[in-house]
Order: sequence, then C-alpha cells, then structure tokens
Amino acid sequence: MTSILLLLAPIGLPLAAALVYAVRGWHARTTAWVGVATTVLLAGDAVGLAATVTTGGPVQTGGGLIRADALSAWMLLGIATVALLACWASPAYLATDHTSTRRARWYGILLHLFIAAMATAVLAGNLGVLWVAIEATTIVTAFLVGHHRTRPALEAAWKYVVICSAAIVIAFLGLVLLYYAARHAGLDGQQALDWAALTGHAHQLDPAVTRIAVGLAVIGFGAKAGLIPLHAWLPDAHSQAPAPVSALMSGVLLPVAFYAVLRVKAVADPALGAGYLRILLVILALATLALAALLLIGQHDYKRMLAYSSMEHMGLIALAAAIGTRLAIAALLLQMAGHGLAKTVAFLSSGHILHRHVSSKIVDVRALAGRMPLLAGLFGLAIAALLGFPPAAIFASELGIARAGATAGLTWVTAAGFILALAAFAAIITHTGRMLLGPPHAPTTEDRSDPPAAFTIATAMPLIAGLLGVAALGITLGPAAGLLQSAASIVGAP
Amino acid sequence: MTIGGLLATAGQVLLVMAGAPVLVGLMRQVRARLEGRAGAGIAQPWRDLRKLLRRQPTTPTGTGWAFRLAPLLLIGTSLVLAAVVPLLTTASPLDPVADLFAVVGILALGTVTLALAALDTGTAFGGMGASREMTILALVEPTILVAVFSLSARVGSTNLAAIVTATLHDPLRVASPASLLAAAALLVVVVAETGRLPVDNPATHLELTMIHEAMILEYAGTDLALIEWASAMRLTVLLGLLASLFLPWGIAGTSLTALPLALLAFVVKVTLLAVGLGTVEVFIAKLRLFRVPELLAGSFVLALLAVASSFFLA
Amino acid sequence: MTDISYPQYLDLAAGLFLLTAVGVLWRHQLAPMIRLLGIQGVALAAIVAILGIHQHSLELILVAVGLAVLRAGVLPLLAWRALGEAPAQARETRPVINTAASLLAAAALTLLAYAVTRPLVALAPSPATAVLPVAVAVVLIGFFTLVTRRRALSQVVGFLLLDNGITAIAFLATSGLPLIVELGVSFDLLLVVLVLQVLTGRLRTTFGSTDLDELQELHDQ
Repeated sequence: MTSILLLLAPIGLPLAAALVYAVRGWHARTTAWVGVATTVLLAGDAVGLAATVTTGGPVQTGGGLIRADALSAWMLLGIATVALLACWASPAYLATDHTSTRRARWYGILLHLFIAAMATAVLAGNLGVLWVAIEATTIVTAFLVGHHRTRPALEAAWKYVVICSAAIVIAFLGLVLLYYAARHAGLDGQQALDWAALTGHAHQLDPAVTRIAVGLAVIGFGAKAGLIPLHAWLPDAHSQAPAPVSALMSGVLLPVAFYAVLRVKAVADPALGAGYLRILLVILALATLALAALLLIGQHDYKRMLAYSSMEHMGLIALAAAIGTRLAIAALLLQMAGHGLAKTVAFLSSGHILHRHVSSKIVDVRALAGRMPLLAGLFGLAIAALLGFPPAAIFASELGIARAGATAGLTWVTAAGFILALAAFAAIITHTGRMLLGPPHAPTTEDRSDPPAAFTIATAMPLIAGLLGVAALGITLGPAAGLLQSAASIVGAP
Repeated sequence: MTIGGLLATAGQVLLVMAGAPVLVGLMRQVRARLEGRAGAGIAQPWRDLRKLLRRQPTTPTGTGWAFRLAPLLLIGTSLVLAAVVPLLTTASPLDPVADLFAVVGILALGTVTLALAALDTGTAFGGMGASREMTILALVEPTILVAVFSLSARVGSTNLAAIVTATLHDPLRVASPASLLAAAALLVVVVAETGRLPVDNPATHLELTMIHEAMILEYAGTDLALIEWASAMRLTVLLGLLASLFLPWGIAGTSLTALPLALLAFVVKVTLLAVGLGTVEVFIAKLRLFRVPELLAGSFVLALLAVASSFFLA
Repeated sequence: MTDISYPQYLDLAAGLFLLTAVGVLWRHQLAPMIRLLGIQGVALAAIVAILGIHQHSLELILVAVGLAVLRAGVLPLLAWRALGEAPAQARETRPVINTAASLLAAAALTLLAYAVTRPLVALAPSPATAVLPVAVAVVLIGFFTLVTRRRALSQVVGFLLLDNGITAIAFLATSGLPLIVELGVSFDLLLVVLVLQVLTGRLRTTFGSTDLDELQELHDQ
C-alpha cells in the first residue's frame, strides 16, 4: 500500500499543484509557494521510494504500467531536486520579469504539468507510456519556451515543437517495430512494450527487426536528449525559455530523454550484442562533442554557451553509455545528477545576469565580479562545477568515465571524447573569464527606466543550495551509494 | 499465322488510317459544342487533308534530307505502330514485333525524326519547338516504359499481346493498385506525347507556348498533310493501346467471328476516351512550360510506384 | 469479404494511402494539400477497417471509426482553420527543392522503403505485412516534406503525413498497440497539432507571415 502511494504521488503532487494554479492563479505571497511545497513533498517521496527499492527491489502497480526500480528512483531523485530549486527560484524570477498575472498562472500550470510528465516518464513500466510522457513534455514546454512571446522566443518554440515532435515520432516508429518483434517472440499485447518483460525475453527477439527498431528509438530519443543529428532545437529553446524552465529542461529533461535510451539499451544489448549500440552511441557522442566544442569556441551569447555546454555533457553521457560497464553507468548517473544541479544554478544565475544587463551577449557583461560579487561568485562556482573542478560531483563522474573507457578497451575513443571536452572546457573558461573579470565599463543598466531588483541573499538561497548539493555529491554519496550501485547494475554489463 | 489474325491486322491498320482524322475531328467538335460554338463537323480534318494533299510541298532553302525525310518516316512509323499494337486482335502475325520496347522505340523514332527536321530548318521556332519536344520526350519515354513494365511484371513477358491476354483472363487485375497507377501514368504521358492540353495546345500558333506546331511550321502541302495524318494516327493508336491494356474486353483472338464485335468495341472505347479527353480539355488551361516537367515527373513517379507495387505487393 | 479479395482491397487502400502522400509533394497550393491529407486519413481508416473485418475484430473496426474522425476530420479541420486565417499570398508553398526533383526524390524514397522493410516482411509474411513498405514510404515522404518546406503549415502537413505512416505501420505489423498507448499517442498528436496551430497564429501576428525563412533571429555568430 505504501509503495503504491509512493509510486503514484510523484505524478499526483505536481498535477495537484497545476490544479491549484489553474483554479487560484499565481499570487506572489500565497500560491507562489505551493509549487515549492509540492516539490518538497516530491523530494521526500523520491527519498522514500529510493529507500524502498534499495531494500526491497522493484515495486509496481497498475498491472506493471507504473514501476520503479533503482534506476527510476535515481532519476526521480534528480527530477525532484532540480524541480525544487526551479520552483524555489520561480517567484523571484517572475517578480523581476514583471510577468502579467495571466501569464504567471499559465507558467505555474505548465511548469507543474512538465514536472508531472517527467515523473511519469521515469516511473512508466511500459515503453509506450514512457513515450507518451516524453512527448507530453514537448507539448507542455512549448508555451514555456515561447513564454516571452518575442520574435526569438516564438521562433525557438516553433523549432522546438517541430523538431522534437518529429524526432520523438521516429522513436515511436522504433517502439512500434520493437513491439512487432516482441509479439512475434511470443509476448502478449500487454507485455510486449513492458521493459521488464522485454529485457527478460530479449534473446528471442528477431535480430534484424530489433536492429532497425533500436536504431530508430535511440536516434529519436537521442534528439530529445540533445544528441546529433536532430539537436538544432536545443540551443534556441534553452536560451529563450525563462531561466527556471531552462534549468529544468537542461538539468532533467535531457537526462530523462536519455533514460529512455538506457531502457532501450537494456533490451538491445542482450538481443543484438553490445557492439551494435556501442558503435551507434560512440558516433553520436563524438559528433555531439565535436559540434558542441566547435560552437562553444566562437560563442557570443552566454545562455547559448550554457546550452552547448549541456550538449557537451550529454555527449559525455552518451560516451559513458557506449562504454556500458557498471562503472561507466554509475559514472553516467552521477554525471547526470551533478550536471543537473550545477546547470540549474548556472541557468538561474544567468537569468539574473540577463535581467541586469538586458542583453545575453557576452561582450555586454563585463567585470561582474567587481560590481556584483555574490551573483558573479555563484555563476563562477556553477561554471567551475560544470567544468569538473573538485569537489563537484562531475569531477568524480568524469574520472569514472575515463577509467571505465580505459578498462573496457575503448581508450582511444574515450581519449578523443575528452580532448573534445577539453576544447569546450577552454572555451567556456575564456568566455566566463571575460564576463566576470576585466576592467569595468559604463554599465548599461543606468539608462533603464526601472532599476533592476536587488540580488539579495534570499534570492540567492536556491542557488547556494544547489551548489552545496553538487559539492556534497562529489564528496560522498552517503546512503545513496547503494542505490547508485543497483541502478548501475540494471543497465551496465558486469 | 491465321487468316483471322491477318484480316484483323489489316483491318486495324485501315481503321486507324481512316478513323484517325475523324477522331481528331470528333474531339474538336466536342470541344466546340461545349464552348458554345457550332464547330466544323467531325469530317473537317479529312477535308483539310484532302486540300493539303492536292498541293505541292515547298522546301525552304538550305534544308537537307532530314527535312524531306521526316514526313515519310513519321507516317511510316505510325503505320507500323498501327499494325503491331493489339487493337482488334491479340493474334496478329506481327506478334513477335509487338514488344513493349520495340513499340516505345518506334514511337520515339517518329518524334526524334520530326525534331531533327525542325532543327534542319534553322529557324528560331523550329529549334525552340525541337528543344521543348525533347525535354518532354526525355520524361515521357521512360514513363511509358516503366508503366507498361509494371503490367508486364506479372505476366512475365514484355509482349503487348501477352499482357492483354493475361488481363482478359484475370479481369480483377485491372483493379489492382499497380494497374491503376500505371493507367494514371499512361494517361498523362499519352496526353503529353500527342501534344494535347494541358501540355501543349494543338489549336494555337501562339509563339511563346507552342511545341508541336512550332516544329512543323515550315511544312506545306503534301508534307504537312502526312505529318497531320501521322499525328492523328499516333493519337488513335495510343488511345487504343490505353483501351487494350486497361479495358481489354471485346478484343478478338484468332477467330474470325469475333472480329465485328472487336471492331465495334474498339470504336466505342476509343470514341469514349476521345470524348472524355475533349471534354476535360475544355475545363483546363495550359500549364506554364516550366511546370510541364513537374507533371511528367509526377506521372513518372506514378509509373515507378506501379512497378514497385506490382513487384512487392504481388 | 472473401479471403481471396482481402489482399486486393488492402492493396487498393494502401495504394490510395501512398498516392495521397505523393500528391501532397506534387501540389503547390496549401488548400489541396490539406484536402489530400483528409483523403489519406480516410485511406488509413479503410486499411484498419479492412484488417478489422478480416480478423473479425470489432475493436479494430471501432478504432477505424475513431481514426477516421481524428485523421480525416479533426486534424485536417484544424489545419484548415489555420489556413483560413492566412493571407492569400501565404497559401502557396515555396519548397526548398523544386517539385519535379521532390517527386523524383519521392520515387527514390519509395524504393528505399522497400529495401529497408525487407527484414520486417520476412519476419511474418502475410498480406498485411506485404503492404508495410507502402507505409514506410509514406513515413519517409512525410519526413521529406517536413524538411523541404518553408511554410509553417506545410511543415504541419508533413508532420501529419509522417504520423499517418507510422500509425499505418503499427496496424499493419501488429494490429495496433495496447489501447492505453494508442489513446495516449492519439491525444498527444492532437495536442501537438493544436500547439502548432496556436504557434502559427502567434508567428503570424508577430512576424506578419508564416514563411519560416523569416525565422532567422536565432543563430550562432
């Protein structure tokens, strides 16, 4: 009974919050904090679920439609944490942005529907339901991306919906073919898309059909995770969405889409051998890393810089998935968590920087460290965490990926991946250095009719909490170590 | 070789020779009536031919053998076509020649001859017409080949008579996607090949749009008569081929008794097709020249789909 | 329906299904494109209905009715409404690749579809799976339309072609996914088209046209 409640609450809580916003609207003093309250409960629920599956193994309800194992629980923890930070930062963001009450209401509704859709995706026991949930994230975030209704925002929203929908429909074609193969392997209609049943019967799947199916599914879901070749939506959408939404999209939506790839991988590897998906993922990973590095070097826009940095991280994550050993998968999951937290802080602080400079051009932001030490410090620390300076979790995870690659016989591929990551690293450092340091010039803020709101400690609290989280994850996993181990063993080869 | 087959073949050549100008007259008459004009009557093309045949042909200075040979070659190929294509019978003594590739080759030979003759005159209009005709031919010929090929794939033979016989034995085949797609493709290319609307307007001498008329601008007298006659015969044979491939009922085999019925069926089918074509022409405008390749590419795709479906759905 | 004519009817419906997809590439005007989309919806529903009658499955026949309402009614209607608001000069598509070349590309894509579906047909040869290449060809043509068209609305049409093709594959290969997935997918699709319709309206008010060449605000450099 408790386990059923734990399974359903992550979907129900955000839906309830969305309902509150739909009925009561967004009010700065009251309902603005409903989102924070529900995400705190969501985080508590995720911890409870993690404890349950670590001790008692996978739990399920609804005839297997909703199921959680260690991997789902790990993903849910990530979603809850980032959602908490994003909801915590939202009132301040909307206040500085002078959002009308009507748009604020829609913002509240859509943001929580978004969280609910992501929670559904990781708790789905059926690849079909997982697909529906991921497509639902596209639908609800379309208007969040176009929230500002400016020309660039609408353009980004259009590209986002068209490219992501087309990509995800390709993934659906993959699932249809997988279902076809599963039906002919003797699974009945209810089981044939159930990932647990599919993984169990993977050996019986027809290899030729499964090969096509898996290829399509990985490319489709990979597009939603920001991998080449259908990545073009990502920098536009991430740079135009409101900062908390960008944080959620970059911090958890990309990993959730990649979670779908992992589930497909768990079916594909026993059916086709590890080689097929490894080659595919290595190609996608290296191409994504190369593109991200190239575009980071000549970047002029700091929000797009953060977006391409997300692509770079997803490239490393895909590389870890290609390596596929337990160590690699554990590192991958840690990378997802660390990147989620650090990128959230980076996007939230970039939102504040944008508010104070009106421009998202790197050249328009100078000597931030001298003028606004707190904001500059937080942004700098978040970037440092993203680049993998210890004690951030990303330091540990990238070390893990490198080691796993070397032991799995993929030394050269891993080396190539990290060289590209290093190029991205250098580019980001240069750009960030320009923004934070350097001689101050006439601030652009003075010509504005309304002076920007002060950046207070209260506003900074979610950012500080996020940075502390990254650091803590890098130092010790604490009780979550067991969860990570069992999550890694679900997908990873021994 | 049977006496029935021989008679039928002779009959279809004579019928095409005599009937082709009438058919053209019929289409003009249908069009005239639908446009509210009285029309010249269906025998008018014959009267024109008679008038032209009495006159002496003129040859522009500077033209060579290509110009003089073209009318003869054109009428010759048209007569061969009329003899080999199974219109009245499937048991023609020329049966081995009635091969898909041979028929398309003969058809192309006539067109190319005319284009060469048009180039030979050295006038601007001749060259322009020839270049346009070749553009169209480049898309039309492969389409005919591919479309009929899709029909022959099931029969296992490229012999036209064999295809027609097989369709007679299995009438449901006409309703298959391959057959329908091929029919649509062939209809479009027949329209293009015979220079009808919307590809070319046979009634105009408007310099910017004409294709076929531009090529024969320099001909006069007997030569012009032969060319006009040959064009009418090509139209008749192509419509007849369309009818034989997709509505083969009534076509005679070796028996003599079936011949009158076959004759009647052929006349009815071709007349209906011609009236239909004439009616449609009233309602459509000529396509802009640069959109003609689009239309023909479309019909080529249809033909290709027909082949694909006849191979893969069978 | 006898067992002998069942493959014939199926082939016929599939032929119409593919022909409408080619027709969308061929037409220049948006209005006939949307009409063709509606006809394609009917063909899709017919395919499912034929399968349902053959398998004596009431569920499939009901699904066919639902599909007819959604694909031949609601979705083209939504596209039609978006078109109705458009100014006259926006009613013509401006493909990146000219029509003749697109048609030849469609022919090539069809052959490609036959090549890639061979393992699918080989797994379970039957009249229904024999039609799979046609559905895959529609998917490829839909994707091609999506990539090579510049008007917002013709991209929507391409997306719907893509989706019709995939639905046809689902029914031909497996007689349909589990009901809950099928419902979820249809609902998602409806919402995507609604979102796109709203965005088209907003694009038009902001940019003054739905020509996607105008979308050049966002780029690197």
